[in-house]
Amino acid sequence: MPSRLKEIQKGFVDSAFGGITAAFTSSVTGGGKLTPAEAINVYREGYPARISEALGETFEACWRVLGDEDFLEACKIYSRATPSVSHNLSDYGGSFPEFLHKRFKKQAPFIKDLADLEWSFKEVFHAEVGAVLPPSDLAVAVNDKSVLVFSSAVRLLHLNHSVHAVWKRDRNDASPLIPSDWEGPQQVLLYRSGGTPVFSFVLAAPEASTLQALLAGRSVSEALAASKGLNEAAARTLFSFIASSALITEVR
Amino acid sequence: MKPGADGRDAMVGVGLRSVHFPRLLDRPRTPVRWFEAISENYMDSAGRPLEVLKKIREDKPVALHGVSLSIGGVEGPRPGYLAKLKALIGKIEPILVTDHLCFTGAHATNIHDLLPLPYTEEAIRVVISNVTKVQDFLGRPIALENVSSYLTYNDSEMKEEEFLVAIAKRSGCKILLDVNNVYVSATNHGFKAEDYVDAIPSEFIAQLHLGGYSDMGKFLFDTHSRAPTDPVWELYRRVIKRIPEVPVLIEWDEAVPDWDGLEAEAVKAIRIAKEAHAVAS
Repeated sequence: MPSRLKEIQKGFVDSAFGGITAAFTSSVTGGGKLTPAEAINVYREGYPARISEALGETFEACWRVLGDEDFLEACKIYSRATPSVSHNLSDYGGSFPEFLHKRFKKQAPFIKDLADLEWSFKEVFHAEVGAVLPPSDLAVAVNDKSVLVFSSAVRLLHLNHSVHAVWKRDRNDASPLIPSDWEGPQQVLLYRSGGTPVFSFVLAAPEASTLQALLAGRSVSEALAASKGLNEAAARTLFSFIASSALITEVR
Repeated sequence: MKPGADGRDAMVGVGLRSVHFPRLLDRPRTPVRWFEAISENYMDSAGRPLEVLKKIREDKPVALHGVSLSIGGVEGPRPGYLAKLKALIGKIEPILVTDHLCFTGAHATNIHDLLPLPYTEEAIRVVISNVTKVQDFLGRPIALENVSSYLTYNDSEMKEEEFLVAIAKRSGCKILLDVNNVYVSATNHGFKAEDYVDAIPSEFIAQLHLGGYSDMGKFLFDTHSRAPTDPVWELYRRVIKRIPEVPVLIEWDEAVPDWDGLEAEAVKAIRIAKEAHAVAS
């Protein structure tokens, strides 16, 4: 015998994504003064509202840049086209940066980079720091052949546009963005130590290339060789920063 | 122990919200005796939210309250969900593990909403099967909360409270009785809220929830965006009178007030419990 419960549940889910069918409408009674269709619509409209709220929390700067009308409309279209498969609303929106790019690339050419930065921030916020090595242990353990294992709460982003300042912009600053606000590539480091908020730094290209090599599992000497124009003083500063920022969980 | 009899107040807690983290980490003196954390906010996070929850757990009991178990879903709980929940339970050692008597969509399409079930024998069998799987996996009982609803199914074969009690009796789970949700659904569907709460045997009630709804004109909407209203407080007074030891929670999810504002509602819940008990004894 076909499951009536399964049929009802399918009708409910379909109504959130597609149209409300006559069969489903005729199977319910609206609460209060709601007609059946109005009652189903309470749930149907609740879905994009919850999704928009979640996307708005993750992509707060994109929302600010695009404005309420464009951002919320984009959320609504994305939510209907991209079902959530996770139990956790915070996981939703992994493909939203690409979606924003396709929709707003002329209006805001930098929007994907900004969205990628916000998504990475969320990942670092929730990442496990683990047991990191104190600077004194690192000083003893590290030599040229060492491979540094970074905490999972570290991300180095290579962005096509300079969006760090756009991301950090005062939310009350209503002045229009101009191309010089975002033009040119940028490397941004995001990281968190135990009990701290997420920190962000813009790195110069030489520092970023060295750090990228280290993150990729290259040895210290290999990373320094791969760096693009990192002088001795800058190298010392970079390694001092790595040691003091509690980024390393293991030295191999 | 009845509130007042041992000099202690009723066990009133509040929902843990990130906006209150800085205040709570200062360990304020408060009559709030426990916290409820939304399970899904911590199941996938090893970051600051979990760090704060662990800190708070050092001082106060915590209950884990889920919104995505989908205990009434014909597909059962989402793959991987229970393992993550069990891991979180291991870290937090909660006093209660709760979720909602509803379904939240399908595995391939989570609507992230508390969708009502038809009150049918088929739905009871599905819920009991899922509860059994969940309780066996977690190795502990869970409690299920009655949800607010804005529609009913023409297929329903019984009253909501009969459905709820049948599931508790036949599955061994407990009931998280949301007094606000009873009031909202009673108003929306035209039944007596008092009859509903009176029909729930005391031994099944593991926790009470109190929250605020919004009047949308055509129906009441469970928004948790304001303090409980007077009719909800009166319904609470009626229930707490017979179950003085049950933990009570002030739930507030939207337009969350500052800590003092939230605490004031907890104090009110404590006072009403005292008054109700005084009258009862």
